Amino acid sequence: MYATKQPSLRINQADLKCKNGCGYYGTANWNGYCSVCYRNAMEIERQNRPRSSQARPESSKNPVSEFTKFEEKKKQQTDKKTKCLKNLTVFRKSSSAADYVKPEKHINRRQVNPDADKLMTEFLCKYGHFEDNLRKDFLKCVHHFTNQLCREINVKPIDELAETAQKFYNLYNSRVNSNPLYQNLTPEVKADLEDFFEKHVMITLYSWLFCPSSTNDEEKDLSIQDRIRKLTWVNAQHLDCCISETSLEVRDLVFTAITDLLGMDSVKAPQEKLQCVVKCCRSVVEVLQQCQGGPVSADEFLPALIFVVLKANPARLKSNILYVTRFCKEARLMQGEGGYYFTNLCCAVSFIENLTAESLNLGEQEFDDYMSGRVTTVSAWDSALVACEGMHQLCEHLTLLKALKEQHVTIQEEKNKLMEDIKELKNHIKSEVASIFERTPLTIKPRKTPLPCQADSKPSTGSLMANVALAMQSADKSKLNLNITPCITATIPEKVLESLNSSVFDECNLESPEDNTNINAVLSKVNYEIDFSDLSTDTSTAEGLTPDKRISPTPSFTADPFSPIGANCCVTQEPLIPLSVPLQMPSGKESERKQNVSVFEDVTDNQEEETLLDKLDRVQDTPVTNLPLPLNPTKTEYTGFSKQGSKIPSIPCNTGDFHSLETSNSKRD
Amino acid sequence: MSAGPYNYSYIFKYIIIGDMGVGKSCLLHQFTEKKFMADCPHTIGVEFGTRIIEVSGQKIKLQIWDTAGQERFRAVTRSYYRGAAGALMVYDITRRSTYNHLSSWLTDTRNLTNPSTVIFLIGNKCDLEGQRDVTYEEASKFAEENGLLFVEASAKTGDNVEEAFLETAKKIYQSIQDGRLDLNAAESGVQHKPSQPGRTNLNGDQAGVKDNCAC
Ligand SMILES: Nc1nc2c(ncn2[C@@H]2O[C@H](COP(=O)(O)OP(=O)(O)OP(=O)(O)O)[C@@H](O)[C@H]2O)c(=O)[nH]1
Ligand SMILES: [Mg+2]
Repeated sequence: MYATKQPSLRINQADLKCKNGCGYYGTANWNGYCSVCYRNAMEIERQNRPRSSQARPESSKNPVSEFTKFEEKKKQQTDKKTKCLKNLTVFRKSSSAADYVKPEKHINRRQVNPDADKLMTEFLCKYGHFEDNLRKDFLKCVHHFTNQLCREINVKPIDELAETAQKFYNLYNSRVNSNPLYQNLTPEVKADLEDFFEKHVMITLYSWLFCPSSTNDEEKDLSIQDRIRKLTWVNAQHLDCCISETSLEVRDLVFTAITDLLGMDSVKAPQEKLQCVVKCCRSVVEVLQQCQGGPVSADEFLPALIFVVLKANPARLKSNILYVTRFCKEARLMQGEGGYYFTNLCCAVSFIENLTAESLNLGEQEFDDYMSGRVTTVSAWDSALVACEGMHQLCEHLTLLKALKEQHVTIQEEKNKLMEDIKELKNHIKSEVASIFERTPLTIKPRKTPLPCQADSKPSTGSLMANVALAMQSADKSKLNLNITPCITATIPEKVLESLNSSVFDECNLESPEDNTNINAVLSKVNYEIDFSDLSTDTSTAEGLTPDKRISPTPSFTADPFSPIGANCCVTQEPLIPLSVPLQMPSGKESERKQNVSVFEDVTDNQEEETLLDKLDRVQDTPVTNLPLPLNPTKTEYTGFSKQGSKIPSIPCNTGDFHSLETSNSKRD
Repeated sequence: MSAGPYNYSYIFKYIIIGDMGVGKSCLLHQFTEKKFMADCPHTIGVEFGTRIIEVSGQKIKLQIWDTAGQERFRAVTRSYYRGAAGALMVYDITRRSTYNHLSSWLTDTRNLTNPSTVIFLIGNKCDLEGQRDVTYEEASKFAEENGLLFVEASAKTGDNVEEAFLETAKKIYQSIQDGRLDLNAAESGVQHKPSQPGRTNLNGDQAGVKDNCAC
C-alpha cells in the first residue's frame, strides 16, 4: 500500500515539467503542459474541429465583430469628448432592431475598476519622474489594451481572452524593447514597467476576468471548498509529512504560511497572487527546516504544502489558480521560483481533488468513515486552533480580571474611607451630644423653683419617669429596676431619676396631699410655669433627650407586655402599650390588669396620684397608639410632651376626665 | 431569455461576522443547503457560499462570505468587508462574551463598509433556550440603539435563518429603489446584471446605439 502511495505524493522536479519536454513547468490546468505547449496543442485541436461545433454559432459572431469595430471608434470619441452626443443622436434615429445580447456587453467602467485612483497614484509614484511622452505612451497602451479586452469580455470564451491578454503582454514587451521612447531605460526598469502594465490592466478588469459568470469556476470553488472541509480530519501523519503539529513554533510558522495563502484571494493582479503563493511556499520551507533541522528536499515539500492547503481551505482556490494560469504573464509561470511554487500548488490541489484512501495510506472503510463523519477525531491541529483562541480569550479575561481587581481595590479603599467617616461622624455626634448635655444640662431645674422643676421633669421624661420613680419607692423596687433601666439611656435616666427621686416625689407627690384635687392643682400650676417662664429651655432639653430616647427605650417596651417579668411592672409600661397590642393579646392584657390592681393595692396611699399621671398620659397617648409598635413609644413620648406644652390651658378642664377615668378604672377593678 | 448562471439580475455581496463558534458557518450552511452541520470545523480565513433568491420578482444572487471568528485571521477577514452590501453580525445567545464583543464587530463593520451597508444582528442558537445568557430584550435594545435589524435564529432548527438573509436582501433592494445605494459607486457590494434589455436606462441607450451601427 505504501508503495502505491509514494508516486502520488512524492514528486520529482521532472514531474513538474511540461509534458512536451520543453523544459518549462507545466500545470494540471494545462493538462500537464506548459502554457505555450498547451496553447499550441489547443490550437491544433481547434483547427481539426469543425468551426460549427464551437460554443458560439457563426451567425452571432459576425455582427459582433462588426459591432466591435464601432465600439472602438465610439470609445475613442468618448475619450476626446467631442461630437459624441451628435453621433449618438444621429445613430439613434436610424435605429431599427435591437440585439438582445448587447446590453450585457456594456461594462460599467466605474464599477469595474474601484482601484483606478490607487493605480494612478502608484503609477505617478513609480514613474512620475519619467518623461511625459513615455508616461503618455504607457497609459495609451494600457487604455488600448483595456478597451480591447473589455470589448471581448462577453463575446469570447475566457480561454480566448487569456490568449488576447498574453498577446498584448508580448506586444507591449516588444514595444518596450524596440520603441525609441524606451531606449534609455535599464532592463530592470523595463521589466518593472511591463509588470505594471499587466497589473494595471488586470486590476482594472478584475471583476470581469476573475471567476467570470460565463464559466463554472465558482462551482469548482464550492466543490473544492466542500471537499477540503470534509478532509479536516487529515493530519500530518496521514500525509506522511514531518510537520509536528504540537510544536508551538512550528504551528506559528504554519499559520504564517496559511495566512500568506489566504492573502491570495484578497489581491487582484496575477503577479500579486503569485507572490502570495511564493510567500506561502517559502514559509512552508521554513516549517520543514524547523521540523527537520536541515535542508529541505522537493520530495518533502509537496506533502507539507498539501497539509497547508488543507488546513487553510483558501477561499475561491480554483478561481484563483485558474485566473493566474490564464492571465499571468506566461514567462512568469513557466520558470523561476514563482513558476515552481505555483506548479507545486496546482499539484497539491489536484492531489486533494483526486485523493483516495490509498493516497492517505488508509483502508477504504476507515477513509469512508472519516469522510462521512461517522468517525470524528479531534486532531491536534484543531485543538491547537481552539487552544489558541482559548489563549486569546484567556488574555482577554485576564485583562478584564485585572480591571475588576483594580475596581475592587478602589471600592475597598472607598469603603474604608466611608467607615472612617462614619466613625468620625459617630464620634462627632457623640461629642456633640455630650457637649449639648454639658451646655444645656438638666441643671436647668435647680435654677427653677422646685415646683416648676417637678413639672419640667415630668413632661420631658414623660409619665414613665414618674412611674419609675414611683415604682422604685414601691416594695417591688428591684424587679422594676430590672425591667425599666434598659429602657432609659445611661445618662439621662440617672439624672432624671435622681431629680425625680429627690424633688418630684419627695417634695411634691409624696408629701403633697393625697387627694386628687390637690394634685390637679399642682399639675396645673406646673404646666403654667413651663408655658410662660421657661419654654425655651424646656424644648432644648427635650431636643437633647429625644435622640437617646428614641434609640433605647423601644425594644424593652415592646418586650414587656409579652414577658412575665414585664407584666409585673405593668404600672410603668401601661401608658406606652399601644391599643393594638391589647387587641392582639387580650389575655396578656387581662393579666396585666390584674397585676395593675395588685400594685395598686400594695402602694395604696401613694399610688393614687401615680395612676392619675398614668392616666393623663394614656389620654394623651390614645390618638397615637395606632402607630406601629416599635415607633410608638418614642413618638408618644415626644408628641406627648409637645402636645402637653400646647394643650396646657386645657389641662384643668381635663380633670373631669380623670375622674371619669378613675371611676371607670375603679369600676373595672 | 437568459438561463443558467445568468438567471439573475443582481448580485448582492454579504459578509457574516461574529466571534468564534457562534455558528456563522452553520447559518450559511443552513441557508444554502438547508441542512445543519453538527460538527463543523472552524473556519480558517473565509469560506463562501451562494444562493439565488427572489425579491419583488427580481432574481438576486447572494454571494455570502463566511469569515473566521478567530482574532488571528482578523487581518485576512477585514479585506472582505469592503464592498459588502449586507453584513450579518452573529452572536451566541448562550454565551454572553460573544454578545459583549458585538460593539467591536460593529465598529469594524462601520469603519470598513459603506454607509448604505445593511447590518443585521442575529442571536444564534435560540434552540438552546435553557442555556440562554442574553435576553431578547437586551439584544433588541442594543440593535435599536445602533439602528440594526435584529432577529433570534437557530442554525440547528432553521428558525428565522431564511428570514434574516431575505430581510437583508429586501432592505438592500429597497435602498437601490430609493436611490440610497448607488449602483455605480465602487464597492457598493451590488452588481447589476441586466437580463432584459429594457431594464437598464443608461446602458440600454448605449446598447441601442451600438445596435444601430451594427445594422
Ligand atoms: N444548538 C445549536 N448549536 C449550534 C447552532 N449553530 C451552530 N451550532 C454549533 O456551534 C458550533 C460552532 O458553529 P460554527 O458554525 O462552526 O461556528 P462559526 O461561527 O463558524 O465559528 P468559526 O468558524 O470558528 O468562526 C458547532 O459545533 C455547531 O454545531 C444552533 O443554532 N444551535
Ligand atoms: Mg465558521
